[in-house]
Amino acid sequence: MREITLSQAVNEALVEEMRRDPTTFILGEDVAEAGTPFKVLSGLVEEFGTERVIDTPISEPGFLGIAVGAAMTGARPIVDLMFGDFIYLVMDQLCNQAAKQQYMSGGKLSVPMVVRTNLGATRRSGAQHSQSLHALVAHIPGLKVAMPSSAYEAKGLMKTAIRDNNPVVIFEDKLMYQDKAPVPEEEYLIPFGEAKIKREGTDITLIGTSSMVQVAEAAARILEAEGISAEVIDPRTIVPLDEKTLLESVRKTSRAIVIDEGHQNYGVTGEIASRLNEKAFYYLDAPVLRMGAMDVPVPFSPVLEDLTVPTPEGVAANARRLCAGEMIHAA
Amino acid sequence: MPLDVIMPALGMAQDTGVILTWHKSPGDPVSEGDALFEVETDKAAMEVEAQGSGYLTDVTAAAGDEVPVGKVLARISETPEGGGTTPDTSDDQPKKSVGSEDQTDSAIPEGEEVIMPALGMTQDVGLIVAWRKSPGDAVSAADILFEVETDKSVVEVQAGHDGFVAALLAEEGEEAPVGDVIAIISREKPEAPVSRSQRERKAPTTAPPAPSTTKRPAPAPKGSLRPAKPAPSSDSRILASPKARRLALERGLDLSLLAEQGHPQPYHVKDLEVLENLPKAIAPQGSAMTASRCISAEVSSDGFEAFAAWAAKETGLADASALLAAFAGTSLGRENTIVALEAFGETRLYKVRGRRLGNLTEADSDTTPDVRLRDLRFGHLSSIQVGPEDTPVISILTTGTGLKLTLECTAEQMNASTAINLLSDFAGRMEQPLRHLL
Amino acid sequence: MTPKTKTKTKAKTEPSLSKDEYLRMYTQMVRIRNFEDNANQLYLSAKMPGLTHMYSGEEAVAVGICEALKDTDRITSTHRGHGHCVAKGANFNEMFCELLGKKEGYCRGKGGSMHIADQSHGNLGANAIVGGSMGMATGSALRAKLLGKDDVTVCFFGDGATAQGLLYEVMNMAALWHLPVIYACENNGYSEYTKTEEIAAGSITARAEAFGIEAFKVDGQDVLAVNELSRKLVERCRNNEGPFFIELKTYRYHGHHVGDINREYYRSKQEEADWKDNRDPIIRFRGWLVEQGLATEDEIEALNDQIKEDAKKAVAYAEAAPYPDTSEVDMHVYAETDPATLRVGG
Repeated sequence: MREITLSQAVNEALVEEMRRDPTTFILGEDVAEAGTPFKVLSGLVEEFGTERVIDTPISEPGFLGIAVGAAMTGARPIVDLMFGDFIYLVMDQLCNQAAKQQYMSGGKLSVPMVVRTNLGATRRSGAQHSQSLHALVAHIPGLKVAMPSSAYEAKGLMKTAIRDNNPVVIFEDKLMYQDKAPVPEEEYLIPFGEAKIKREGTDITLIGTSSMVQVAEAAARILEAEGISAEVIDPRTIVPLDEKTLLESVRKTSRAIVIDEGHQNYGVTGEIASRLNEKAFYYLDAPVLRMGAMDVPVPFSPVLEDLTVPTPEGVAANARRLCAGEMIHAA
Repeated sequence: MPLDVIMPALGMAQDTGVILTWHKSPGDPVSEGDALFEVETDKAAMEVEAQGSGYLTDVTAAAGDEVPVGKVLARISETPEGGGTTPDTSDDQPKKSVGSEDQTDSAIPEGEEVIMPALGMTQDVGLIVAWRKSPGDAVSAADILFEVETDKSVVEVQAGHDGFVAALLAEEGEEAPVGDVIAIISREKPEAPVSRSQRERKAPTTAPPAPSTTKRPAPAPKGSLRPAKPAPSSDSRILASPKARRLALERGLDLSLLAEQGHPQPYHVKDLEVLENLPKAIAPQGSAMTASRCISAEVSSDGFEAFAAWAAKETGLADASALLAAFAGTSLGRENTIVALEAFGETRLYKVRGRRLGNLTEADSDTTPDVRLRDLRFGHLSSIQVGPEDTPVISILTTGTGLKLTLECTAEQMNASTAINLLSDFAGRMEQPLRHLL
Repeated sequence: MTPKTKTKTKAKTEPSLSKDEYLRMYTQMVRIRNFEDNANQLYLSAKMPGLTHMYSGEEAVAVGICEALKDTDRITSTHRGHGHCVAKGANFNEMFCELLGKKEGYCRGKGGSMHIADQSHGNLGANAIVGGSMGMATGSALRAKLLGKDDVTVCFFGDGATAQGLLYEVMNMAALWHLPVIYACENNGYSEYTKTEEIAAGSITARAEAFGIEAFKVDGQDVLAVNELSRKLVERCRNNEGPFFIELKTYRYHGHHVGDINREYYRSKQEEADWKDNRDPIIRFRGWLVEQGLATEDEIEALNDQIKEDAKKAVAYAEAAPYPDTSEVDMHVYAETDPATLRVGG
């Protein structure tokens, strides 16, 4: 199978969907000629023109609000939010307006909109360009959240996001744009709410989001050499979340670690761990651990920045201790 | 017609309004839009206009009265005499009052209820310092009816209604909960005014209703297991993972044995292997652990005999003893059970899978049985107690009226509830085989 | 600055529309006034949950503009949204039901007064966030352009909302992209409990002009002037000449919301009386209709009575109407998507 980069995969998804549906359009900063600073959108304005690939001023609340209005009245906008950190700027339009229109109108108004943004630290970009804020939007009823972990997921999830009639926020890992993965030539979509078991195992379940899937897979390889068999699962979307697959796995292995790049406190790791606790309690031979990013703003200095995110060695160390029956946290 | 005149909503923070003046008197003609009365709000005076035309009637609040928002205080009727019925007051009690009239007590006269008012944010009872009117007295709404002690001072409370004191339902010096009815004012002079103490009230129909809780019930644990704690050996808790506890329960293992051994906690699933392999000779300390268990049950034999006959005919299963093994094995409630069946001097080993009768196979001769069945139906023994052996043993004997089933084991082999469940289930299956099959 | 010294734009006094169109304008204004009076009563009699915001006094603004729009044109509304809702073609029954949280309301009782929307007539909804719907209106206009439709979107907002940054972001983009949107600023002199002069520096129309958007001022109490201007601008929008900005000078008779009863501390009773007695848009238009021979006083009285009756009936209807079933509480969080579209070849 051919291998393409995550950037190319997203590009393909957008091209295919914009050809399929003439009501789709892209708006955001530097999306047209520049194809965005990450170059993901190269070539789109040439094919679809400036009417459907619209460069906006630096007005995040403004153009997200515009997207909401366009979506409510018959178009399908794809908003490019250059850095996930800018989610704070658009919270009213996203969470007070887009998320609630369907409900407040009793089912009559809908907002089929996609917000394409990113997450991920270790790029030496400092505290305000390195945040992973998907937990904030996952918390709001009415929004869906997708987290592709490779080029393959990025294409399939993007296509579904565009066709879904709800506001969807897709978080790509900005460190992964040049990473290649096998992606079929034939068209495919990845449904929301369907997790993927990336690696089967029997002793412990490692649940990772976005690039943490690769971290978990690397940890699994370390553990394998030590005789510990880890199962790695990628939820792919956190709203809706495929609990069934996660629970089946934990019932089998009786141990789990949840790894995510959002801050650990009050985040995705806590939510998933909590659900596993509630629904697989009697199958747990160890507490479900959370491994999120450290609860500090992301530091600039590389030496410090790299300490703040989960690593394969860190995951493996925790897995080892859980399998040995060690109590990691004092009773 | 007639139109209710209510105390209107006055502002976000106000629940009551004080009437400053009436611009119309009862019986006066009013036109829509006329000013009826003025209300004092926290900032200024506000005129309340008539919402229709007619005559002002059934006025129940006077200048100076404090009236709760939403309460009907007059009517606009077609004639000056009014609609003939008093404004419906039973459903516009101020929100704090829940005093429903004690319908079962015919001694309390009918009339307007006077409640213990709310006195402050943290106070839910008021001490009646003094009644200023006596039963039978005439009273007007603005008269002081009683004095209440609050945590700051003594407060005078107005009657709130014109009429006569028909009943005083609490005595001076008594405390009454906020919202309770403490007096009744009737329109007519009462023939037999009532005066009594709080203590005499009936069952608390007037207690403030408990706030309706819509808490969800705590989710019941999934599965049919009730996670019983392992029999406590001492008063210290045993730390073990949920899975370890569940499996210990299922296998009839006692985690406290590990604790007694000093095996380090917390216990996980792999510690159960240690537990299972503990030498049986441990526990010579003469504790309850060495006790043996002996439980018996008596059942009629018809059920099993009929079933064996049916099974032979319908399924070709001629070996009745295999059925016995199946019943016993399924009664232990485990996924796999090895049953040793002793009958006519022979021992045969069966493997019973799960709960269904059909999963019965011969087991290898070197497997260790979980339970031994001793089929003594065709002998002459009527009861048996030979003491525990290396595995739990169920003996089946014939009595005059049916079968007697006796289970013997050590306390270590099975805890009490496992033993009881085993024999009960087995007896049930023997008594009504078909029911258990289904 | 007292209202008495303001000069007003006078409308052309010769009728240029049909009698039916004028009567419809009048009817719509009276319907709004009646709706608000009844809604206010529902609040005062403690029958309506929550609060609402009265439009009484501003009828000519909503009606003047909406009568220049087609059913396919869109509007976005504000927290003071009943006027826009009625003016854009909503029915009393469904509106009262919505205010009382009943199932037959426009939003199945789930939106309430502050989120009332009527998509069938192009009303994209009231909004509880001040300025919250400006992005939506501009986006609707972008969509019209993108999909080659000729509908126009009107964005209603108040003088207070000119303090929201979103306004400038979207006007900037509307101007850059020549979007068919009309920004209608209902300047009623007060931003909640504070005079507009104290919260809006400089000129309101100059804000739009800074982006190169043509801006107009009009007397918001003169329904004919509002309507005439609106028709022109709507037509120009359809010809791709948008966006536009209108500042309409108007006045709200009630407080900021229905509970804002004691408001003398920020607004004098004399000022309120002056607007009510001397500048009421309904009385004024009525006078013009009679003067032009388009209707007699009797016809108008009859119309008034009919509308009053309609409103009363609708209130009774709504009061008797059922609430939504409790099972609806977690419905409509997400919109359905046809599963067939989520497949290859879908």
